[in-house]
Amino acid sequence: MSITKETLKLHMKDPAIFCCRREKGLVISEADLEDPSLFDDMVDAGLLTLSPDGLKIEQVLGSTLLQDVEALTPITAEVLDKVNETASPAPEKAVEKKTAETTVPVIRTENKGDGMIHIEIAKADHIEGLKLDVPAFAAGSAPGAALTESFVPVPGAAPSGEKKVIRKLIKKHMKIIKVELGDKTSIKDGVLTIDKSVVDKAVLEDPLCKSLALDVIYPDQRHQYTETIMDVCPIATKVEGELGEGVTKVADGVVFMLTGVDEDGVQVHEFGSSEGYLDEKMYFGHPGCADENDIIIRCHAVIERLTGMTRPGPFAAHKCQDYVIQTIRDELKKYDGEIVREEICEDVRRSGNPRVVLVKEIMGQGAMHDNVICPSEPCGILGGQKNVDCGNVPIMLTPNQVRDGSIHALTCIGPATKEMTRHYIREPLVEGLAGDTELDLIGVVFVGSPQVNDEKLWVSERLGSLLESLDIDGCIITTEGFGNNHIDFIQHIGQAGKRGIPVVGVSFCAYQGQLVVGNEYASAMVEENMDKGGFENNVAGCSCVTKEVAARAIQMLKNKMAGVEIKPAEKKWNNDVINANNRLLGLPETVLLDNGTLH
Amino acid sequence: MSNTYEFPLKQHIGGEAVPCVVEGDEIHKGQLLAYQGEGLGSSIYSSVSGKVIGVEKGLIKVVADAEQPEEYEKLKSTTPLELIKESGLVGLGGAGFPAYAKFSKPFKNGGTVIINAAECEPILSHNIARIEKKPEQLIRGLRIAMEVSGADKGVIAIKEYHTEAIKELKKANSDPSIRIKTLEDIYPMGEERAIIREVMGKLLPVTALPLEAGAIVINAETACRIQEAVDLKKPFIEKDMTVAGKIRGNEKLIQIFLDVPLGTKVSDMFEKAGGDIGHGLSDGYGEIIMGGPFTGKRTFPDAPVIKTTGGLIASECFPKGPEKIGLLVCACGANKERLEELAESMGSKVVGTEYCKQAAEVGSTRKCENPGRCPGQVQKVMALKKAGAEALLISNCTDCSNTVMSCAPKLGFPVYHCTDQALRAVNHKLIRRIKDSQAG
Repeated sequence: MSITKETLKLHMKDPAIFCCRREKGLVISEADLEDPSLFDDMVDAGLLTLSPDGLKIEQVLGSTLLQDVEALTPITAEVLDKVNETASPAPEKAVEKKTAETTVPVIRTENKGDGMIHIEIAKADHIEGLKLDVPAFAAGSAPGAALTESFVPVPGAAPSGEKKVIRKLIKKHMKIIKVELGDKTSIKDGVLTIDKSVVDKAVLEDPLCKSLALDVIYPDQRHQYTETIMDVCPIATKVEGELGEGVTKVADGVVFMLTGVDEDGVQVHEFGSSEGYLDEKMYFGHPGCADENDIIIRCHAVIERLTGMTRPGPFAAHKCQDYVIQTIRDELKKYDGEIVREEICEDVRRSGNPRVVLVKEIMGQGAMHDNVICPSEPCGILGGQKNVDCGNVPIMLTPNQVRDGSIHALTCIGPATKEMTRHYIREPLVEGLAGDTELDLIGVVFVGSPQVNDEKLWVSERLGSLLESLDIDGCIITTEGFGNNHIDFIQHIGQAGKRGIPVVGVSFCAYQGQLVVGNEYASAMVEENMDKGGFENNVAGCSCVTKEVAARAIQMLKNKMAGVEIKPAEKKWNNDVINANNRLLGLPETVLLDNGTLH
Repeated sequence: MSNTYEFPLKQHIGGEAVPCVVEGDEIHKGQLLAYQGEGLGSSIYSSVSGKVIGVEKGLIKVVADAEQPEEYEKLKSTTPLELIKESGLVGLGGAGFPAYAKFSKPFKNGGTVIINAAECEPILSHNIARIEKKPEQLIRGLRIAMEVSGADKGVIAIKEYHTEAIKELKKANSDPSIRIKTLEDIYPMGEERAIIREVMGKLLPVTALPLEAGAIVINAETACRIQEAVDLKKPFIEKDMTVAGKIRGNEKLIQIFLDVPLGTKVSDMFEKAGGDIGHGLSDGYGEIIMGGPFTGKRTFPDAPVIKTTGGLIASECFPKGPEKIGLLVCACGANKERLEELAESMGSKVVGTEYCKQAAEVGSTRKCENPGRCPGQVQKVMALKKAGAEALLISNCTDCSNTVMSCAPKLGFPVYHCTDQALRAVNHKLIRRIKDSQAG
């Protein structure tokens, strides 16, 4: 169809192609031109060949045709009486940073031509009046839901709202340098000894757990076979106060890794599991994973036959592991070794700053897709409630509660795109938003993703009312996994969007996770993918929220709240655009993992 | 707009209806114009009050009065099945099989009535629009169909992304024997046997009728019209439709019209959508399609809306095709004759025709052995290339198109699809490659 005046505005710099055969003498208007959003399909099908000599829409409007031209062929200068003048490309310039003291700075950065960076800041006391055109990035392309990512650093430090501390949490990190299996559980001089008979008691915690085995994997022993990785769980314990306040001790340099099979040797959640060589199956250093130098205590569970894809089966494994970890927590409470690092976490209010919330959509489909919320001990099981049992309704936590291990994750199909327990205790978006002096982070909402579509809608509507009542100026919504959960993810974005709340979506989409649904509000999206082919590559923790993803998302939220135009996405996922944005923000390059998924 | 309404005597599968009015007769809205002849067929009623101005071969013409009444002449039968038969209702999914005939053999030990609410053709959206507006009407129509057929279960099969319609249906339904089955969004999920496969878990052979799976499949609007026939004693005189494409003004490219009087001129529908100038159509368009982009047929501005009219789409102008073109025919999309017509409009000569391996011949038509679950097409593409074709024109369903697209462009073979000009006309994504997605 010829395009409308409205559509025309979005496509002035796209190729000009006639939708129908046009004859000599015609004065070209928008009604004669094909909609550029269809070009990719047409090029793919071989129906259209774009030419470098082809003119852009802005160059041909109002010109007169000197000869007949067929439909679907590029319009070139020789068939027109004139070509409209357009701004010639300016030389490339780096993004300028604002100097601190100016009151009404004007910043212009132009890089026109193919790369198109155009940034204009008319008044930058805060982030008002910011304009920019930066290369769009694309992740999954789906009807109505193109992903876009673009931003510019907010210049200088804006005056922040007054900081009021509501509560404080101190995380005391204590270094573990050695782990042994012995006769009695103890921590002494940085050496953790675990009573090897504890597994016999632990296995009694749940009849579905048939056996439990511990072994220790040092950093130089990573190239060894592992059954599917169900979770990575830190060892942390409360010594003062409730979750989210007081004092927590965290054992550094060591994590638990839960693996599991059923009695027939079938991997738990066999449907995208991560068994294989450990060094190839975990993205070491990502928030949910073990770090390069961590000692891994592997807790391997064998659960009852055929329970691997039920709710109770995997939960039994987690529960029994937690029994083991609790015996260590009890020792950690007493341990008076050196505090290597004190991490001060504050729940604050910064009145006057834009009020924002972080919404984290977590798995809630049942089976192994579940999460225990607010257990008694950090990252524990006991005392917590499962979000599936809670009907997956949105639950508000304070940033400190999240940072104190309020979420124990039971999620592992599609291991690359799921957030494990360790992720939450050091969630980059929570850290980033809580520490941002330009924002006022009201809280972190956890909302489960139910299995059934109408439950998804129901939950999403509850989230919408909650967001409305919070009277916020913006929100970031993340999800884990892809496909099924994208249905509610997009609904959530719609719930915020239709209430006029600026919203940024964060997800793995890339190639395999292209959005299956969309709406008009899903216009500011951040891609998490780190796989070369854009696939779920079964490397645990590969494509999740990282520091870089968080930085891009927060910047995009600021842009969106400031009314900065976010360009529509390219049709296909393109990591170059993500890296262009990384460069704009001074972030390291997003290097994709080559795991043989590239087609 | 014109005030002449035309009623062809054959708008359905079966024999021509027999006229029972003569030129000059004053008639009322809902009055019988032609009754069902012997054997399979359907009666035809006037959708307007007015005067018969012609009973020609195969056609009755009526000039409508300026003022049209709300009321209509009511049907006379007393039992539901007789009312359905008397109403002249046919299956509204496109083929036009007389509705009563589906109920001719009631189930003895229970069975399932499946409402086909897939509305599978792209662009068409009047079925979902009605469901969202009157969900209770569909539920009631289904209830009647279950009673008439002796079924103990009712299923409404609808694509999963129609969340609003699904919500409305659930709200409206309190009958535990009726459930909703959601379908994946690919063409041809709405094909009768595809629906049965999805709902009953049983793939029927191409020659079988749904009854062999213990099921009757009826289109969503058919069920709504059953409700009108039985509860309101209303003859079948109005049809829902989607009017789309190159509508003048270029603003609303897809419009829904509910309860359009049968016999209305096609050009009048475009005038309703786009205004009087140029009959509401843009200056240049390719053709007018009656039906959906996949299986619709070419029609003309003077033609009347008939019982099976679901869509009226003014397509984009035809691009100039290559000199020689090859046809790949899929049982789920346009047939050979339709593709030949499209090739001619593109100015291309057909040098070869191949059929998808799964397109089994059944009588004079073809049916897909397993709709939407498609075989590779490389062999067919190669054969057409060998025949001298410079490009392909295909009518394949979503999945087949995917397989064609995975080979043809690599062979330097441009691929045209029978739905292209219709989809371009509304700026929809073209039917080409689909991307895989996984749950999780």
